[in-house]
Amino acid sequence: MMVSVWRYSHLLFAIASSVFLLVASITGVILAVEPISNKMEPYSVPGADELSLAQTLGHINENYGEVLAVMRDRNGFVSVTAIVEGQNQTFYIDPFTGEKLGDLIHKKPIFQFATNLHRSLFLKSTGRFLIGLASFLLILISISGIVLIAKRQGGYKQFFAPVVRENFSQYHHVVYARWALIPLLILALTGVYLSLLRFDVIPNSNVSLQVDFDSIQEEPVKEYTQFDLFKNTPLSELRELEYPFSEFVEDYYIIRLKDREVYLNQITGEVLAEEKYPALQVMTSWARVLHTGEGSIIWSIVLGFGSLAIPFLTVTGFIVYFKRPKTKIKNAYGKHESEYMVLVGTEGGTTLQFAQELHKQLLAAGKKSHLALMNAYGHFKKMEHLVVVTATYGQGEAPASAEKFIERVGKHRQRQAFDFSVVGFGSTAYPNFCQFAYEAHEALNDSANSTALQEVFTVNDRSFEAFNNWSDTWSKEVGVTLHLEKPKSTLGPKPESTFKVIDKIELPEDDTFLLSLKNLNGSRPVSGDLLSVIPAEGARERLYSIGKVNDTLVISIRRHEKGLCSNYLHQLAQGEKLTARVVDNRNFHFPKQAKKTVFIATGTGIGPFLGMIQENVKKREIHLYWGARKREAFNLYKDYIETARREGKLTAFKTAYSRENGEKTYVQHLVRQDKTLFLDVLKSKGCIMICGSIAMQKEVLRELQVLSKEHLGKDLSHYQNRKQIKMDCY
Amino acid sequence: MKPKIFKLAAVLVLTTLVLGLFSFVKEPEVSYKCMIQMTNYTGEKAYVVVSLINPEGEYEKTLYIQGDDREWFPDLKNWWKFSNGSGENVDALSGATIGNGERNIISLGFSASHIDAGYKVRFESAVENQEYYAVDAEIELNSATLTEKVEGQGYIRYIRMVPNR
Repeated sequence: MMVSVWRYSHLLFAIASSVFLLVASITGVILAVEPISNKMEPYSVPGADELSLAQTLGHINENYGEVLAVMRDRNGFVSVTAIVEGQNQTFYIDPFTGEKLGDLIHKKPIFQFATNLHRSLFLKSTGRFLIGLASFLLILISISGIVLIAKRQGGYKQFFAPVVRENFSQYHHVVYARWALIPLLILALTGVYLSLLRFDVIPNSNVSLQVDFDSIQEEPVKEYTQFDLFKNTPLSELRELEYPFSEFVEDYYIIRLKDREVYLNQITGEVLAEEKYPALQVMTSWARVLHTGEGSIIWSIVLGFGSLAIPFLTVTGFIVYFKRPKTKIKNAYGKHESEYMVLVGTEGGTTLQFAQELHKQLLAAGKKSHLALMNAYGHFKKMEHLVVVTATYGQGEAPASAEKFIERVGKHRQRQAFDFSVVGFGSTAYPNFCQFAYEAHEALNDSANSTALQEVFTVNDRSFEAFNNWSDTWSKEVGVTLHLEKPKSTLGPKPESTFKVIDKIELPEDDTFLLSLKNLNGSRPVSGDLLSVIPAEGARERLYSIGKVNDTLVISIRRHEKGLCSNYLHQLAQGEKLTARVVDNRNFHFPKQAKKTVFIATGTGIGPFLGMIQENVKKREIHLYWGARKREAFNLYKDYIETARREGKLTAFKTAYSRENGEKTYVQHLVRQDKTLFLDVLKSKGCIMICGSIAMQKEVLRELQVLSKEHLGKDLSHYQNRKQIKMDCY
Repeated sequence: MKPKIFKLAAVLVLTTLVLGLFSFVKEPEVSYKCMIQMTNYTGEKAYVVVSLINPEGEYEKTLYIQGDDREWFPDLKNWWKFSNGSGENVDALSGATIGNGERNIISLGFSASHIDAGYKVRFESAVENQEYYAVDAEIELNSATLTEKVEGQGYIRYIRMVPNR
């Protein structure tokens, strides 16, 4: 079934039941404390469970003249109801001596209040019905939640695989939901059961034993301590024992054991009637125990945390929903008057932001562009250029707004020739990366009058840089000039810091330079974090990977002839100040646990690694692979690398030059060459970190994918999900 | 003169002593064991209140309340009017509710002067969202018939009483 159906039902059920579920869960948390506090009362006597009923009754009868009943509750506390000084009294006793241990636990007012609110919202039957209904909706929410997690994770087998983190709410919603699933489902199911019981949908089946009074015997007279049942039944089996009401033989002992009810002749000890509890009653008893946690501290704690998950999941769930940018699209030009069509396939809406930016810039360039969802595919009279920007959901499925796309491409033929380009958004941490984009490409390729401008272009982890790369090549091919602006929301505003330039080393023949900065205030970055620099007012921010070397920050920069930012940084002289922000990039920090780490970099991508190597005081195994065009580019980093090698902080260093001596070596070739090392790193929970151009990243990932599939029998996403592959490419 | 004063003093002391003693002598109490057997009705657990009714047919005092949640007390309308109005303290008189088909054995204490004097013991009952029985069962405090089984009209199937040992 389609993802959107599950998602909408998940949301709908949550909206319908949220208020009641919140009340029920908060009171539920309070009520989880009750069985725990009861169980901690000191009325449990060790070893008493092994006493026989005959011994226990003997001890009790010695102490009290008129005993009415003996009970053993789920906590294992034994209580006696007896007439003491003309009054009914119920109290806990020590089964070894029969002595009173304390008065019955009185339900505290707070628990009484919480119970009433929990069961019926103080609305009596109406409230009970509402709570029962909310409980039922909780079952549906749980089931739709299970399906959604499975779809998101790419199958039920991956259900407990690590979750890809998009943001706090999304990540924790999924992670906590998985943990809370079992207690929540049990609470919901038993809650519904108890409600149905309350409304007599499930019959309340009691044992009703019949005694044949005509055949009751008065001999042989036996002492009650000699009754077989009393002698052979341990106290642990007992629930309740009622004494005969009078001394007449017609009155008998009523004994409720864990599994059956027995009537016992008070004079002969003969069993007058006996019946096992019907299955329904056993189920009811289980439903109660499972729902209340009575008698078990551990289960009560589990239920308490399960209950606590509901407010958390409600809040994060609604945040996930409301944070999703709404798919509101305004168009200046109708679909039949536009030459440019931008179609979006999006789940959450992040893909839409990029498509909107493209659409906006096309309009700014004076083109007639129309933006629509992929499901709106139809005959577009004037379309010449089609761009499809689509995400993929879960295991290669179509996202919500593109579920009908392929079918509609088959149905609606364009009468004029058009070209198309497909951009796939996704995360390589999922298997079947950008799967749907490829399918959409195929479908368009097969349709009439279409020409593919390029192969599918994939964008990993919403990388604006990658999208920009695509836009550059595409706009050249169709003949427009485009300048995309980075969507602002991808990085939250962070306070700015002031940095002082303390050193600048230049390599003019390679147009690269190293800038050493000292942080004068603000946050303390870690190697791998990013430095966001805005070179002029209103200009777009540029991000540089930080390497932290001895308290100074090193950034490695390539100077572009017309590059606004690189030239701005280049003209900074020693001692000058620079205002920039540090952006936390926790997905690219040095792995503290990994025993073996491989760094792969091209060109200035070596920057963050310089810091990480320098910080490797524990001298763990680090291999560095570096690619550049020419050998001379290395001179800029020579000192750093040679020092690290000498100090034992860097295990191995290998280079690949692509414009040297006619040979064309790229880092991906080295990956294949040294496959034993790479396989070993993947197997032994080591880490591979990649920094540099996106083109290089794609090639390296392709090599690794081949290795992983051929030699380890696993998709590379498996390792990426375990954070064994970290990337920071532009 | 003197002996007269002594005599008077002796009489005074004696009378105070006798009077004092007399006031300490408790009215003899009679204790009965009472079984409330419920019918197999459907629904929540029943609230049952046991009260002493004087020969004029009015509530004299509350003997026992089967039900511990005060929220439902007003459902026992007639008794609540009396008990709530009289302000008697019933905290010590209440016990757990019991459900359909179950039985409850309680102990009831009467002062001997109430026996064979036209007093009655009334059982009234109520169940959440169901009918209220102002008189579910009633037993005359008559020593000859007290131990006979009395059938109930509502949620109570029957009441049995026996003298306490």
